[in-house]
Amino acid sequence: MKNLNLKPPRPRIRYVSPRFQGPAVLAFAAITAIGGAIFWKLVDGEFKRVFLHAAIRGHYTFDSAYDIVRDLLAWHLAGLFAGVFLAGSVLVLLLVAATRHSIGIAIDSLRASAEGDLSTPTRMGFIDNFYRFGDKIDAVRSDTLASILKLRSEATGLAASGIPAEEFRLRWDELKQEIRRIAP
Amino acid sequence: MIDQEASNNSPLIHRRYVFGLLLRLGVNFAGGVGILFAILYFALSRPLPGNYEGVFLALRNLSPFLRPILAVSVLVYALLACGSTAALCVYILHKVAGPLYRMELVMDQYRSGASTRTVSFRNDDQIQPLAKAFNLWIGTLRHDRHRWLATMKDAERHCLQDEATCRAEMEAALRKVAKDLARYR
Repeated sequence: MKNLNLKPPRPRIRYVSPRFQGPAVLAFAAITAIGGAIFWKLVDGEFKRVFLHAAIRGHYTFDSAYDIVRDLLAWHLAGLFAGVFLAGSVLVLLLVAATRHSIGIAIDSLRASAEGDLSTPTRMGFIDNFYRFGDKIDAVRSDTLASILKLRSEATGLAASGIPAEEFRLRWDELKQEIRRIAP
Repeated sequence: MIDQEASNNSPLIHRRYVFGLLLRLGVNFAGGVGILFAILYFALSRPLPGNYEGVFLALRNLSPFLRPILAVSVLVYALLACGSTAALCVYILHKVAGPLYRMELVMDQYRSGASTRTVSFRNDDQIQPLAKAFNLWIGTLRHDRHRWLATMKDAERHCLQDEATCRAEMEAALRKVAKDLARYR
């Protein structure tokens, strides 16, 4: 009998941030494609020259065309790997540096918030996803600051209001409710 | 205290993660180059005839086919390498993008006024100090909120006495709370 209580496992979504993962994927793909295009351009010209030269010189000691271009092909493949890997590594290091820089700023901003600074903007840098994330942190801090300023104004006003006891009590309770809404 | 210091000093992105990414990228590109080599090897390793004329003609006839052979092999390399690199990037960068996404959800939840739970990332996720900084801030806010409510509750106890004392204590509590709130700017 089928157990209806057993839910199928939720699929793990890996592609959660198109603004961050998307451009990175495109950049790596561009490096690979550009490397391939350069390899094609270089090898095409070189192979034609070498085969023509070999045909004229009569290299019939070689078993196959591969034997003629073996070293050349090996060097170009090594060059392709080195070029693509180095460019990819530089991109990885740039991504890591940008992430460290931007997230470091966000952390500083959150630590400053814990010390009471809710108004200094979080400028998280040039990658769109981080920029948006910084805006989100600022929006949260801004909302919190607005609530706190409202509470402060209410508390100061109520302390100096001199209103009748009943109304005072009503506003006192409202103020308590408002305070409870901070960081629920 | 020591734990907090240790957590504050934990790196945003671990070296192991960066080296792992570079290693996988290297293996990926090497695989792509290997496939390119294999295609070109099979295309060019056809045996040449033994005589001069045969070799001459075979090599001369190879030239027109060279460009399509190279184009197809480079295209296969580019598609395979791009595809596997894209998959690798999505998988690896998820360890940074995932926590950011999660934090965004938590912040949306916070802004909507819903109860916000402590943020924690998975063990192998990067940027762990971000969650700690957020939790520190929310923790400080909650601590302050409890203190303000405790101050007000403390003033309410005086209402068991006469009304004037009760009012004076409540007003004093409000001034104290307002002073406390002033630290946020």
